[in-house]
Amino acid sequence: MADLTGANGTREVFKVVGKPNLPGLTAYAMATGVAKFGSDFTAPGMLFAKILRSPYAHARVLAIDASAALAIPGVVDVVLWDDPVFKTVGPDPMAGKKPSFLLNEAHKEGQEVGAIVVAESEALCEEALGALKIEWEELPFIVDIIKGLDPALPAIRGPEYDESGTYGPPSITSEGYPWMATHYPDDPPKTGNVSRSTLAQGDIDAGWEEADWILEYDVNIHDVVSLLPNPQASVARWSGKNMYKPGETLRIEGAVGRRGMIAQMYGLPEDNVIQEGLFQGGKYCDWGLRMSQEITPLLSKKLGRPVRCCNTREENFDMCVNERHARVKLGVKNNGLITAVEDDTVVDHGAPNSSEMTTYDRDWNGYYTLKCENIVQKYTIVDSNRSFMYTCGQFVPYSFDMVTVGLYLIGEKLGIDPTEIARLNLHGPDSQKDTRPVPSFEACLEEGKRLMNWEWHPAGTKRLSDGRLHGAAFRYQMCPRHAFMKYFTKLEYRGGVVHFPTQGPIAGWFGTECFTMIAAEELGVGYEDICVDYDYRAQHTDEAGGSDGVTGHGWIVKECANILKRKILEAAAKEARVTTDRWGPVEAPKPPSPLTGCSADDLDIEDGKIFVKSDPSRFIPFSAATGDTLTAEYGGNSPKAAWSSHFGRKLDTMNTSWCEVAVDDETGEVEILKYLVVIDPGKVIRRTSLESQIDQVVYFSQGAQLLEEYILDPETGVRLNANMTDYRKPTTLDVPVVDKGVLETRAGNGAYGASGIAHNLANSHILITAIHNATGVWVDPPATPDRVIKALIPLAANESPRR
Amino acid sequence: MDANPARVTFESASARAAGILAAMPLEQKIVKCPLCGWQGFRHADLIEHFTLEHPGCAAPVRVTLDVNGKLCELVIEPQMTLKEVLQFRLGLTGAKEMCNRGACGSCTVIMDGRPALSCNVLASECEGKRIETVEGIAVIPKWKPLIDAYCKWDAMQCGYCTPGFLVAAKALIDRNPSPAVDEINAALSGNICICGTYPRHAQAIIEAVEFMAAEYAGASERGDG
Repeated sequence: MADLTGANGTREVFKVVGKPNLPGLTAYAMATGVAKFGSDFTAPGMLFAKILRSPYAHARVLAIDASAALAIPGVVDVVLWDDPVFKTVGPDPMAGKKPSFLLNEAHKEGQEVGAIVVAESEALCEEALGALKIEWEELPFIVDIIKGLDPALPAIRGPEYDESGTYGPPSITSEGYPWMATHYPDDPPKTGNVSRSTLAQGDIDAGWEEADWILEYDVNIHDVVSLLPNPQASVARWSGKNMYKPGETLRIEGAVGRRGMIAQMYGLPEDNVIQEGLFQGGKYCDWGLRMSQEITPLLSKKLGRPVRCCNTREENFDMCVNERHARVKLGVKNNGLITAVEDDTVVDHGAPNSSEMTTYDRDWNGYYTLKCENIVQKYTIVDSNRSFMYTCGQFVPYSFDMVTVGLYLIGEKLGIDPTEIARLNLHGPDSQKDTRPVPSFEACLEEGKRLMNWEWHPAGTKRLSDGRLHGAAFRYQMCPRHAFMKYFTKLEYRGGVVHFPTQGPIAGWFGTECFTMIAAEELGVGYEDICVDYDYRAQHTDEAGGSDGVTGHGWIVKECANILKRKILEAAAKEARVTTDRWGPVEAPKPPSPLTGCSADDLDIEDGKIFVKSDPSRFIPFSAATGDTLTAEYGGNSPKAAWSSHFGRKLDTMNTSWCEVAVDDETGEVEILKYLVVIDPGKVIRRTSLESQIDQVVYFSQGAQLLEEYILDPETGVRLNANMTDYRKPTTLDVPVVDKGVLETRAGNGAYGASGIAHNLANSHILITAIHNATGVWVDPPATPDRVIKALIPLAANESPRR
Repeated sequence: MDANPARVTFESASARAAGILAAMPLEQKIVKCPLCGWQGFRHADLIEHFTLEHPGCAAPVRVTLDVNGKLCELVIEPQMTLKEVLQFRLGLTGAKEMCNRGACGSCTVIMDGRPALSCNVLASECEGKRIETVEGIAVIPKWKPLIDAYCKWDAMQCGYCTPGFLVAAKALIDRNPSPAVDEINAALSGNICICGTYPRHAQAIIEAVEFMAAEYAGASERGDG
């Protein structure tokens, strides 16, 4: 709670932090197109590579005759899956286990399989792929996870993907909570394609006993594609020659931020891997590398020329939300207090080695923000051939919207505003037993109600003057802060300027800008006075998760800046005691310094001046502190964040989302009339990007709920809309104005009491809930007009709504 | 391969763009067979080489492209899109590929004054058309206010789609020097941003056109406009 352990954590005057409209450090490079992303790199004499993709949902390559492909002029090589060269590549340390780098079995349509072709151009690669004579064995597949529950279906995965090793005791945090377990020892063994796992806390039977009534409802979440904007690509040049270092050298561009991983895969010292490109593109919490980013070093080494491999959009159509169907049962008292929670979820496991985080994660769950401690989460996980999920995607709902819907339905049944139901059920700041209000939540709630002119009404009871139905919904969440890793920062005062070396990557969250603002604030200089030195060899990385620069890293930067500040003041005081300048054998008297007679304790820095605290008229420019080079390093763990240590059982900074929709019950069209986010990030570090990140998650959530649908052919398992024409992301004409209320309670414990916002504003059901409030029926996302109309038909026929 | 710039200002980015434009080849002194690597000096020799060595294969064609005011004589493969030629022949990577089917606007260039999707246009069909790319816009001081406003308002997050938006914005301002928010949103509706920067573009464009209008008015009053 609050940043009380670090230097200046309770600072009240801010001159840099919180300032809007400071351009990003590399914004001009991005706007003018001179910034280079992985797919932009080329190298003289480079070859092009393409990887064969499966046209089937599940298939094995039995044999490939590459002779016709190799006969095409300009085709340089065809490397098949069983080529011994793949044995020279180590496993990707962030990927799941698999028998070899390239396999002959594909577990989804479009997966890399069987062969890689290399040619003088991309067009020739395509021609060569078309010329391969491939003997396929089609295998059974599952793209409907409900049908996949059938125990009679043949297993779609071999023993190489056996999970029995994970049926062990879960990791337990020092606070005593299980974390990131896929299975527990008491879970039954996997049968066929289905695994079952239960996480339970409290006394569920006592919870049912205590309840006055039971509420049961379904929450269906469909899968959403992340669409990384930039094609995942790399260009690599393997060189045996190195002027400065022993051993071979690899230069790879495109695997941004993953230089160490590539070095590990190819058995090279990290220092021998060069990667100067900084721009990672949009890759929010998608930490995995694609094969196109991993394979080019191998091909370059084999063929002695640089090699480029670039995915197309269709090849880069990866999932970031997996389909799930939750049947939730709540025990509720007559006043709306929840006494028991049982969540029985069926969830897509995706293709092998998909992120388990998006599948099994039950820890960051809305249930643990409730006073009710009797919680059972039963997960039924179905192996499928639907898609692949890289860890962990922009939009991990952490099953939070099961709570959103539940609180709303309790309010509906009791005729009470759901915000009051939320207030009744939310536990206090310290634990689920704490009955005190959470100040941040209360502040967000009150501000949200004020800005929305919030007037709750029961479902289906309000029409607008134009005849459309009016609905509204509310949702709360935690504001998260990452504090998982050890962080490291180095700052250097050199030549009168503070240098901040960082390796990037530059990935869209303006982290380095936030860190630079924190360093400038603590050093008493301007944002533009800090010289950020991008260097791929620097230890500091922008990559720490979270948003608004308020990860554990921001706190570490603050501490480091204070160490450097002390050194600068000591050096300035020492310099002031020197009375002569010496150049070789010549010594000359030096003009007396305004700081003469002061110790470091007597001095401070503000507005780029080092001054005497008792007499600010005595000062020197910051750049004149000393001619020496001063270095400060600070690394380690930041204070633990409530979000990442208690998973909801401790609450500091919160946020609320609110929306109003109009539903035309004749056309099924849904219009967002108002969307408001009131957040308490604790302390705003960089306002402009914080606001943009709010827009981002709202649009993402809007797309998921109103527009986007990933369609697979049930007969063939093939994707039908894996492109940006048929899979509709929101545009400028679709998105609402997102009103924002930003509070600063300083209740987080990142730098200055900051937390972040990150994913947790993203949701799958606030608009869906508002549509229910308008119409009285549930429309599973995406609520496209046809689906809305279809859901309204039973009402028109005087049938009861589905839920 | 060359590295990224860092710690960028308008002036340094503009200078970088100017360098990229200066490095564009105006002619190909050596023609290279895209199939076997054979090299010669004349397009006619390459055609002869194709006739002899690769009968039945489509031979490269010679085109003259007007890119950012420079006439570039190139020998290209007939299936190459304008996007591919810009990147692989002219070294211009400001037009980005996102969807490769004309659905996202990241590869937007201006062709004869109108926004065009360079991933959807064959380069061989662009002869005689004036092509402007983001690099060409970046070197013209007139557009500094637009680029400044983009940077001031974070009309970018990851930055990948940003050049496409900026080019579409420039095309809009060319035909409508004081667009309203609705007009901006309509003009940019063909550009997809996954990072959700949409409202920032209108904010930046409106600030830029107001600044440019004031500058123009001031210059007119001073008689130097």
